[in-house]
Amino acid sequence: MIEEGKPIFVQIAEQIENDIIDGAIEEETQVPSTNEFAVFYRINPATAGKGVNRLVEDGILYKKRGIGMFVAAGARARLVTNRTEEFAASFVRPLLDEAAKLGIAPNQVAAMIQSAASADTTNQKETVTS
Amino acid sequence: MTTTTLAPAVSVEGLTKRYGKFTAVDNVSFHVESNKIYGLLGRNGAGKTTIMQLLTGQQFATSGEISVFGDYPAENARVLQQICFIKEAQKYPDTFKVKHVLASAPWFFENWDADFADRLVDDFRLPMKRDVKKVSRGQLSAIGVIVGLASRAPLTFFDEPYLGLDAVARQTFYDRLLEDFAEHPRTVILSTHLIDEVSNLLEHVLVIDEGRIIIDQDAEELRGSASTVVGKATDVDAFVAGRDVLHREGIGGLASVTVSGLSAAERRTAADAGLELAPVSLQQLIVRKTSGSGAAAQSDWSESA
Amino acid sequence: MTTTAIERETTPMTSTPAMTRPLPSPFARIWNVVRLHLVDRRTYIGIPWIIVAFAFLISIVLSNIIGFVTGDGLGGAEATANQRYSWAVLAPQWYLIVVAVQSIGLTFPFALGFSVTRRDFYLGTSLMFVLISAFNAVAFAVLTQIEKVTDGWWMGTYMFNALWFGVDGWYVDLLSFFVLQLLVFFIGASVTTIYMRWRIVGMLVFAITVAVVVLGTLSLITFTSSWPAVATWFGQQGIAGIFLWLLVPTVLAAVGGYVTLRRATPKN
Repeated sequence: MIEEGKPIFVQIAEQIENDIIDGAIEEETQVPSTNEFAVFYRINPATAGKGVNRLVEDGILYKKRGIGMFVAAGARARLVTNRTEEFAASFVRPLLDEAAKLGIAPNQVAAMIQSAASADTTNQKETVTS
Repeated sequence: MTTTTLAPAVSVEGLTKRYGKFTAVDNVSFHVESNKIYGLLGRNGAGKTTIMQLLTGQQFATSGEISVFGDYPAENARVLQQICFIKEAQKYPDTFKVKHVLASAPWFFENWDADFADRLVDDFRLPMKRDVKKVSRGQLSAIGVIVGLASRAPLTFFDEPYLGLDAVARQTFYDRLLEDFAEHPRTVILSTHLIDEVSNLLEHVLVIDEGRIIIDQDAEELRGSASTVVGKATDVDAFVAGRDVLHREGIGGLASVTVSGLSAAERRTAADAGLELAPVSLQQLIVRKTSGSGAAAQSDWSESA
Repeated sequence: MTTTAIERETTPMTSTPAMTRPLPSPFARIWNVVRLHLVDRRTYIGIPWIIVAFAFLISIVLSNIIGFVTGDGLGGAEATANQRYSWAVLAPQWYLIVVAVQSIGLTFPFALGFSVTRRDFYLGTSLMFVLISAFNAVAFAVLTQIEKVTDGWWMGTYMFNALWFGVDGWYVDLLSFFVLQLLVFFIGASVTTIYMRWRIVGMLVFAITVAVVVLGTLSLITFTSSWPAVATWFGQQGIAGIFLWLLVPTVLAAVGGYVTLRRATPKN
């Protein structure tokens, strides 16, 4: 669950973000405590706390005094926006750079993506029907 | 020294311990902050056990200053009553059964939790009525682990506490340590060879090599502070030129070089140059940093792991 | 794992701050060492008395053999006199000196692991030696008196009323057994502190020193032809006097052990 060579608190924050994005944790609901995260992921509680605090700073989580941590309203939309920007930077940009090297025009790339996606869906349909 | 909980649990200044001509601990200085889990890591004979014996008053320093909860620990009942030191080669009275150890421990540890001790006895399947002399190596380690956890001492040392424990039992130890630490924060100093197993539990890392502290750093900062660059030898060498190279390996025209401290921008530069970047685990990093990267160093770590 | 954490989440998180709880008083700490020595009651109480019981059984057999061999029958004057030289009453002492050695050799490193100071450990151990010695002294003095009153347990077997016991009155028995028991404990313990502090080199130096002192004293007495004077001196002291003198080496061993142990370090 925890990878090497990357600060664990970053991984914990991303883990919680993923849970919010895919709806495993809904907005305005309570998230597990720092200690529960620590025990579950088998990491130091201070490290887990750092990950949670990062999300508090980003406004994704907020503290209810004496109760615990909750997911902020609109957190999911904000995360999706952020991730979309990251997606552009870390996947689309390198994809276009590599395409340019090979002399593939952006509209050709789009066409390639389209055909790959439709192949995927037909494949899936075949597996479902067979 | 103030006695608030914010004061460091342990302060060591210029500490040296010599046995005859052999210097086991060589002019060492460090602090241990309260309520954190520390890893005291290093090769066999690096001086880990000696440092713990000095901090717990079992050995006397040759020179230097030690302050534990504000005082010199040796023969200091006020300080020692707050310490639990679990060591690999703990001796027990000859006729003792396991139950005698666990019956007497609460007299010496103010915070002893008997229910927790009972649960741990079940977890480790410890035979209470067996003679300590006759239990297996793993069960002997389990006795130490149980005393160390259930004592809830404000300062707890575990010196290689897992000898003979199988992977499942070791995981039980780490899990119970973490659960109990989360509920009852205290200062824990864990000395171990099995860095990969415990690295995620640690908040701070002290690495000792040949009697000196060579790393004293937050575990999170240390993690990801080094990367291995892999690619064509000429490209790799061009990229790492002028950097802090921790380790270098090569086969034919390929090279794999471990360097410390790459910024995000530098990572992109490396990627653009067609080089691959691989993460370095805490254990790899420490192996690289202790006594160079000689074959002897490597085998010492792996044999004990 | 996570479920237990969630269950416990309802309880407030309690920190274990250093130095807020009242710590045990100095005497409580020393008393805990006494309890540590006695947590396994076989060591100082069970096994010694089993040895006494076995010695007693053997004494019964021997007294019958002696009675038969001397042709005197059980309880005869000569048979009774012969039994006075039986060392059965001291049978547990060989075991107890080993126990005293182990109290330092094994229980000391164990107690350090329980964060006991050397000072508290030694004082607690000494207190325990005194208590056990007092208990044994009373027990053996009483047994000696019973043996006398019952003419050897109604079967002419004398084990406790032997050697110097039962000769000078019960209070001398009490004193002599107490001092002897304490001496056995402290010799065993203090010699072991030498090992704990200086290891084998210390033991060698100590053994050589003892040999030189003993041989020197014996030669001195011999060369000055003082043996008759020595014998006279011992005769004048009486049993009580000799055991009062034995308090001197007992106290020396006790104090020497304390001083030595204060800087001793358990082997790693």
